[in-house]
Amino acid sequence: MPPGNEYAAEQLKAKGNAHFKNGEYESAEGFYSQAIQKNSKNPLLFTNRANARLKLERWQDVIDDCIKSIELMQENMKAFFYLAQAQLAINHPNEALSSALMAYELCSRSSQQTSNAATISALVLKCKKAKWEIRERDRIRRRHALLADLEIKLEEEYKKDVFDIDERIQNGEIGQVEAQEEKAERKGEWERKVKDLRTAFALSDPENMKIREVPDYLVDGITFEIMHDPVVTKNGRSYERATIIEHLKRSATDPLTREPLTIAELRPNIALKEACTEFMEANSGWIYDW
Amino acid sequence: MFASKRLSKELSKLHDHLPPGIELIQADDFAEWLMDIRVIDSNPLYQDEVYRLKFSFSQSYPIEAPEVVFVKDATHPIPWHPHVYSNGIICLDLLDRQGWSPVHNVESICVSLQSMLTSNTKKERPPGDEQFVKYNTQRPRDINFVFHDNQV
Repeated sequence: MPPGNEYAAEQLKAKGNAHFKNGEYESAEGFYSQAIQKNSKNPLLFTNRANARLKLERWQDVIDDCIKSIELMQENMKAFFYLAQAQLAINHPNEALSSALMAYELCSRSSQQTSNAATISALVLKCKKAKWEIRERDRIRRRHALLADLEIKLEEEYKKDVFDIDERIQNGEIGQVEAQEEKAERKGEWERKVKDLRTAFALSDPENMKIREVPDYLVDGITFEIMHDPVVTKNGRSYERATIIEHLKRSATDPLTREPLTIAELRPNIALKEACTEFMEANSGWIYDW
Repeated sequence: MFASKRLSKELSKLHDHLPPGIELIQADDFAEWLMDIRVIDSNPLYQDEVYRLKFSFSQSYPIEAPEVVFVKDATHPIPWHPHVYSNGIICLDLLDRQGWSPVHNVESICVSLQSMLTSNTKKERPPGDEQFVKYNTQRPRDINFVFHDNQV
């Protein structure tokens, strides 16, 4: 690399960051690309560009950037985090889940257990939900041939709408922002229709309606949500790791007894974690909206 | 961060069941709720009166405490209590930054306030009430109360 290129790349990256901050993702992406031409050995340039491309919904490009960045630096929480989002967007929930779990592990291993943990936790749940939805969709469709037909029709219609919008972007008839709004609207419409359709079929099939309640011992006492990475305190109560850490950063006390408690004293509750996973798998989808 | 999700779960529990003497009046959003409380024993200080509480939640609830005050209107007075200022501001360790714990919730706060009233026998305001009500411009959560007395 000629001398000075590393410096030039940093300058371009800073420009990219400034544009990103202002929501100008397209120009930010351009600056990051220029920076990469100057210095293709810096993994952070690839993750920054991946983030910009994520905003532009260029999923395949996001994935390429993340993989490149991970090649350059293995312990790369951000790259796995962006990768998971792009994989989820192109409907590959299995890959997305393993990327999200990798990001979570890197995050909980890092010394500064930041608020990232909560965001990544949420992404992990979202991936699990997507994974379940595909399974559930197949199950329902096997049960009801008519429902399957109708759902496939709706999906085709939605995909055609998206394709039309993409075409209009290509022809310069509408801008990115407008297109994204319209896509989101179509998606919402489609999801609503599928939901209504399934509700109608579920009503005609009451055997499949179960009581939907999560037992208290699987629920985090702070967020009231089912736990995915429970940790236990000195007095034996368990909480979701990300939320108890959030509390301990403000006040280093046990939420129940007010005894002194530090982040380092938390221990994973492995058995409870397994119980939560098992419950989620057995009770599937509704739990994610619970 | 998780405020709205947690509050929606609290709300469905409140709709389901409420302890005696506590009533949900208004919860149209996840920023501000109104609750009514009354004491359920025969403490003469509070007989036949209903008090209205206003809860204000930040985005960081329940990591951060909600802001809770009594509000006064034609049918709801401010209860007499040595820890309740005449403008409705409450001095209770549970609601203070140090005393708060995220395992508390709207219901448990109402129950604590009920019992704070029930156990009181003094028809008094906190010392310096007049000055405080006149000059205080701080929001309740920014005030550093000194919890000097554990009798009431």
